[in-house]
Amino acid sequence: MSAVSIRNVSKAFNEGKSNQVDALREVSLEVEPGEFVSLIGPSGCGKSTLLRLIANLLEPTAGEVAVNGKSATQARLDQDYGMAFQQAGLFDWRTVRKNIELPLELKGWDKSARRARAEEMLQLVQLPEFADHYPWQLSGGMQQRIAIARALAAHPPLLLMDEPFGALDEMTREYMQGELLRICAATGTTVVFVTHSIPEAVYLSNRVVVMSPRPGRITKIVGVSLGIERTEDTRNQTPFFEAITAVRGGLRGMHAAHVGLGNDDR
Amino acid sequence: MTNAVRLLGKVLPAVVFGVLFLGTWEWAVRFFELKPYFLTAPSSIGKQFVSNFSFIRRAATVSGTNALIGLVAGTVLGVMMSFVLSRFRFLNQIISPLAVALNAVPIFVLVAVLNNMYSITSEIPRRIMVLLVVYFIVLVNVARGLTQISSTHAELMRSYAASDIAILRKVRIPNALPFLFVSLKISAPAAVITAFVSEYFGGSQNGLGSRISSNIANSKNAAAWAYVLAACLLGLLFYLFSVIMESLSRKGEAK
Repeated sequence: MSAVSIRNVSKAFNEGKSNQVDALREVSLEVEPGEFVSLIGPSGCGKSTLLRLIANLLEPTAGEVAVNGKSATQARLDQDYGMAFQQAGLFDWRTVRKNIELPLELKGWDKSARRARAEEMLQLVQLPEFADHYPWQLSGGMQQRIAIARALAAHPPLLLMDEPFGALDEMTREYMQGELLRICAATGTTVVFVTHSIPEAVYLSNRVVVMSPRPGRITKIVGVSLGIERTEDTRNQTPFFEAITAVRGGLRGMHAAHVGLGNDDR
Repeated sequence: MTNAVRLLGKVLPAVVFGVLFLGTWEWAVRFFELKPYFLTAPSSIGKQFVSNFSFIRRAATVSGTNALIGLVAGTVLGVMMSFVLSRFRFLNQIISPLAVALNAVPIFVLVAVLNNMYSITSEIPRRIMVLLVVYFIVLVNVARGLTQISSTHAELMRSYAASDIAILRKVRIPNALPFLFVSLKISAPAAVITAFVSEYFGGSQNGLGSRISSNIANSKNAAAWAYVLAACLLGLLFYLFSVIMESLSRKGEAK
């Protein structure tokens, strides 16, 4: 059973009106349990829309989305996934601990269980000493780690991330990528990750899904064979550069197709 | 010790300015031999303030009570209505333009209408007037705080399949609290001003506003100014109250 199964999904905004936008057209994608899949492409290619369809924050116009073998709606109601956004989106009036406890509160966990789990998550993101701080007392990278801890607090099998490191500086960003891989390895979580950055997508992923706009569709899927153990060294090795070149080629090919040069390698 | 020094550094410029201002005023009145009906010296205002203190205090109590009752009732009603508005968006579209329009007209004239509805010695029209002014300030601000939540928070709560009640309790209300305190900061002085001005439209001559106008009518300018001073102090007291409320809420937040 796939962790995420997307079959012939289309999504149009303002359907039937003069300003109709085909955000996605007939997209299909399977994500296996434990896999790390990145969605990459220029603005307007529908990568964030695709993520929101998986999260059931949007309904598809046509096609089917299944998560964990259930409908996307049921998966959302069962909290089968956690989500992290570009903005950490922590609640300023809650302590770090209380922020992490929020999804558990909504699930009706009792206080001691919540507290124990929040403690465990703080250990996981290596910020246990900040439990009683408020979000605004933390740096951007720390806030994003808390947001990840919150997204994983209920131990969902799937983590959906929408450019979570997009607002961070390059150094923090690379550090966070390492942290994310470590956390995913520790928890066995499946990840669908939206990004603008080619090196980020390659470093993190088992597969990189290249998308193109107008209408949004998948143009190429690049498999990344960097092995399971990825370190700072990985960034200096030939397979890393080869995968980057392949992804860039996918994005370029789309550009060439747009100006009427290259062949459409869909 | 250093805290005291820092506080002094903050307060000193304002105090120096105030003393200089009053000194210049006093000097100008004496040097140009200004007549009391033209401009009264601060020293004679002070004398009047002290000698009439028991009357001033009684008048301030009347106006202050009207302002306080109107402020509390208006805040409670405004908060209640903002919940209704945030729940039923179509109402918001009906009420918000009305609130803005009412804020634009000099609604003090309503006091004259209200005075006709109640007995001439009643304080109720004045309190209703304060209530109305406060109500719309609180309503508009708190409704905004309840509805304007960040899109990330909205998506997050939807991803948790959170109920409307849970979203209200855990996101909307905490988000609206700062808006409530901002509206209190605006409406506390407005309540005092409204209580004074309401007294200009007839009724019992017992509050600060009516004392000011009757003293001016009798050319007792220094006494009128003494009542103005009291009005100013009462307004400051209300403002201070709202600031303290806000800082208490901040402390609650920071534990």
